[in-house]
Amino acid sequence: MSNELIVAATDISLAYRRTRHRVSSLKQTAIDTIKRRMAYEEFFALNKVSFNIARGETVSVIGRNGAGKSTLLKVVARVLPPTQGRVIVRGHVAPMIELGAGFNPELTGAENIVLYGTLLGRTPKEMRSRIEVIADWAGLAEHMDIPIRAYSSGMTARLAFATATDVTPDLLLIDEVLSVGDADFREKSAARTLEMMNGGCAVLLVSHDLETVQRMSTRAIYLSDGQEKVSGNPTEVVEAYLADVHR
Amino acid sequence: MSTMQVYDSSVRQIPVISQVKSIYENRGLLRLLVVRDLTVRYKRSVIGVWWSLLNPLFTTAVLYYVFNTVFKSRLPGGAPFLPYLLSGVLLITLFNQGLTMGADAIATGAGVLTKVYIRPEIFAASASISSAINFLIGLVPLTIVLGIYHRTPTWRFPIVLLVIFCMTLFTTGLSLLLAIAYINFDDSRSLINIFLMALQYMTPIFYPITLLGPHTRDVIQLNPLYSFLQIFRHEFGNVGVSTLQNWEIMIGSSLIAFVGGFYVFSKRWPKVVAKL
Repeated sequence: MSNELIVAATDISLAYRRTRHRVSSLKQTAIDTIKRRMAYEEFFALNKVSFNIARGETVSVIGRNGAGKSTLLKVVARVLPPTQGRVIVRGHVAPMIELGAGFNPELTGAENIVLYGTLLGRTPKEMRSRIEVIADWAGLAEHMDIPIRAYSSGMTARLAFATATDVTPDLLLIDEVLSVGDADFREKSAARTLEMMNGGCAVLLVSHDLETVQRMSTRAIYLSDGQEKVSGNPTEVVEAYLADVHR
Repeated sequence: MSTMQVYDSSVRQIPVISQVKSIYENRGLLRLLVVRDLTVRYKRSVIGVWWSLLNPLFTTAVLYYVFNTVFKSRLPGGAPFLPYLLSGVLLITLFNQGLTMGADAIATGAGVLTKVYIRPEIFAASASISSAINFLIGLVPLTIVLGIYHRTPTWRFPIVLLVIFCMTLFTTGLSLLLAIAYINFDDSRSLINIFLMALQYMTPIFYPITLLGPHTRDVIQLNPLYSFLQIFRHEFGNVGVSTLQNWEIMIGSSLIAFVGGFYVFSKRWPKVVAKL
């Protein structure tokens, strides 16, 4: 079943109340409250966005900073419930997150593989059986028993990438395509990303790299102020976006 | 692919119940996080377990010198001061550690928590549980100190497990509230540290409550930590007296903190994530 629907988002909105001056200190909040200066405004990070992603499809989201792209990823990742509308996601979701965000420098490579994989939604038991494969793929088999604070940043990135991409999920969420490590590994990781994207999963890709968007996606959505401005053929959507940017 | 999990945002989650259920379903991760905390603390440090006990033991030594030698404080009924003091330091450490470690784990874990679906409550629970395990290890030096005064733990000492359980609920709930404060307000940390210090002084760690006037005593008795501490002292080393009211306050406050903390967190967390 290649046209099986993985994501179905219908009219999803995300609104929240924020302070007009973006206060983030307790002191300022107290002063403003006493002086009755607290001004709130309703802010729509997403406004009635609808889209579907079927297995095998790659949908890209483009738009300016603050257009709601990351919010959309959070809603689909289940981290943030939409305030209106409905989203249904079927199957295992895996995000490609900032590499090593779930790592602990005091733990060994092997321990971190298990912890990171479990944070990404797999079971500890499953991860323990994958240590060797992941370590081999990252080229770090001899470094599994030392704490990763002794790793170079390139080694850490390789381990994180290898762990995160060990299985092909049903839905892959990508916030900018990652290229990590030295030239060799960069090629290897790009190939692996492509393999995952073509390996029968649905992909939601957020990127500023318009060339990548045109090359990799089957469909694109152009978000502006939380609203879907144009969607459809990636080349046409990118053109519409560029026309707006250059205006 | 066996059973395919389906997420439907329109299915309403019942606060507290759905959160507790999610912790239970992710107990593999919970165990892993507890093991991580303990591994980082014990296995890798040179003197291991003893190192983590150094802090409460050293604090106790300083306080003992100040209050026993300098101020010549005496407990009513001639109860030995050192085990009384060490019990207090261990319990307050249990509280502080569970509370701040849990809140820190959530506040600093935002990189993962805003991108992957993991209930942050699991981080809070794991911090409280690993603090509880540290506390259990701390009972060894306490037993030794009791031995110096020719005392042994009471036969009722397993009741301490109940105190630990209540404290785990108490700190898990409170650390969720603290995490929200940490993330929302950049300057909340220093203010909270002052509050925690005040709470410590309002807990009779190094003084007997009988030292206080009747009015102050009434106020102190409302501090839940006082009840936790009295029960712990009474049931473990018999170096204090607990009342039925202490039990009511301990159980009541831990349930309120747990349910209240989870409920507020379930409402506030999405708003916090939206802004991160």
